[in-house]
Amino acid sequence: MEKILITLNINDKPCEVMVYPNDTLLEVLRDELDLTGSKESCGEGVCGSCTVHMDNKPVRSCLTLAMEATGTKIKTVEGLASGDDLSDLQQSFIDHGAVQCGFCTPGMLMSADALLKDNPRPDEKTIRKALAGNICRCTGYAKIIEAVAHTDNPQDQCPDCKTGSKTKE
Amino acid sequence: MRLPRFEYLRPETLGQALSLLAVHKDDAKILAGGTDLLVRMKKGLLKPKALISLKALNELSYIKKEDACIKIGAGASLADIIASDIIQKEAKALFQACGKVGAITLQHYTGTIGGNILQDNRCHHYNQSGLHRSGRQACHKDGGKICYARDEADRCNSTCQSDGATALMALGAGITLARKGGERTIDLADFYTTDGIMPFAIESHELLKEIIIPVQGAKSAYTRLAYRSAIDYPIVCAGVLLKPSDTQKDKIDEARIVVGAIARSPLFLVRESSSLKGKNLNDTDAFKKAADSSMNSASTFAVHNVGSTLKYRCDMVSEMVFQALKKSARAALPTKE
Repeated sequence: MEKILITLNINDKPCEVMVYPNDTLLEVLRDELDLTGSKESCGEGVCGSCTVHMDNKPVRSCLTLAMEATGTKIKTVEGLASGDDLSDLQQSFIDHGAVQCGFCTPGMLMSADALLKDNPRPDEKTIRKALAGNICRCTGYAKIIEAVAHTDNPQDQCPDCKTGSKTKE
Repeated sequence: MRLPRFEYLRPETLGQALSLLAVHKDDAKILAGGTDLLVRMKKGLLKPKALISLKALNELSYIKKEDACIKIGAGASLADIIASDIIQKEAKALFQACGKVGAITLQHYTGTIGGNILQDNRCHHYNQSGLHRSGRQACHKDGGKICYARDEADRCNSTCQSDGATALMALGAGITLARKGGERTIDLADFYTTDGIMPFAIESHELLKEIIIPVQGAKSAYTRLAYRSAIDYPIVCAGVLLKPSDTQKDKIDEARIVVGAIARSPLFLVRESSSLKGKNLNDTDAFKKAADSSMNSASTFAVHNVGSTLKYRCDMVSEMVFQALKKSARAALPTKE
């Protein structure tokens, strides 16, 4: 079995990389391209920590072959911030303490980012449904849902929104 | 978890895909969304020499209405089906079933309806890691001669846990299987072999091409029971279709009751379905009777192999069927003006 040269468009940058046909996108991102933001946990599409965007749709990179990702636009968690400027969603995660151990965070961010693109002010039920495919072992769901809900919609009564209200300025 | 090695083939037309399949036959597997196939390969349950990817094939992802039928290309993603107006209006059971598969943001964009029908049967003794399975003798599905789900069973008792197939069977759907130089259309109800090892009556050189749902002015509903609302297979599910009579709008002309996640294939219960013919659409007693009878008929096939206790799953068959019947009857009743 030989390695094959493919070109992937990752975070708007073309990357040429040699892959085996049985390499998953996650393995290529982490081991070949050093984009270690996306995490491998279950490896079988259950936990959601490897979520990346493929053509703006959240998919599980552990169940996507690298070969299948050619010709699509991939966005990983590293592509959310522009330089040192965190995205509103990322800042909101920090402000609301939505990060505990942090292992599920990249997947949560990618799923939430896809949701917020479609619906900038989702209600709690919509957020819960959108994040249903992501598991947080620390069980910090309440903070995560709050962080997503308040990203574009800071609440006066929420103490976390006031302190780091990047969106308010 | 690493995938085993394989050759990756990427045909660009259906013709090319069928030619490749005709050459490789059993050595190749079709890769559509991969949410079932790649998991099984990672667990070492399957080691195909080649994967034929349908990624570059655009001709199989359509949803259209034609000659009083809804035609769905097998490569249509679950998200496309959920978003389709035609499906929402005229094949409600399929809409409800697809919305329940996996997790809404993740599997739905990659998972296809064809893959959902062809997802392999499951059993919690078989769908385990290589390490787990290496600690004991192989079961029927793994190439051995033992069934861990039912003592002294001479054959495999794996369970078909497809949401889509149960709903489609209730809708009376047919499927088209294409091969090099021809195709055949069969009823989905005839597609199952009752063999847990190879549950589908599909030849190794055939490819599921299209799903055809007849539109007949009927209302359908799908209910399922699972531990969690997302990323979980159903432990019991039911699909129901009720067709009101043309002359008397509140009488049932035809009913179809299908129970899934209980046996090797979704079960179309003929006796219970015909018992509802001529009954009133708001006759809940008749629904209850049909649901209880469904439970008795379906329980004979059930084995303890997909989580929860056997008794609970069997008891819930009745509840799932009853709820589905009520839901579709409510939709079918003529609206009062």
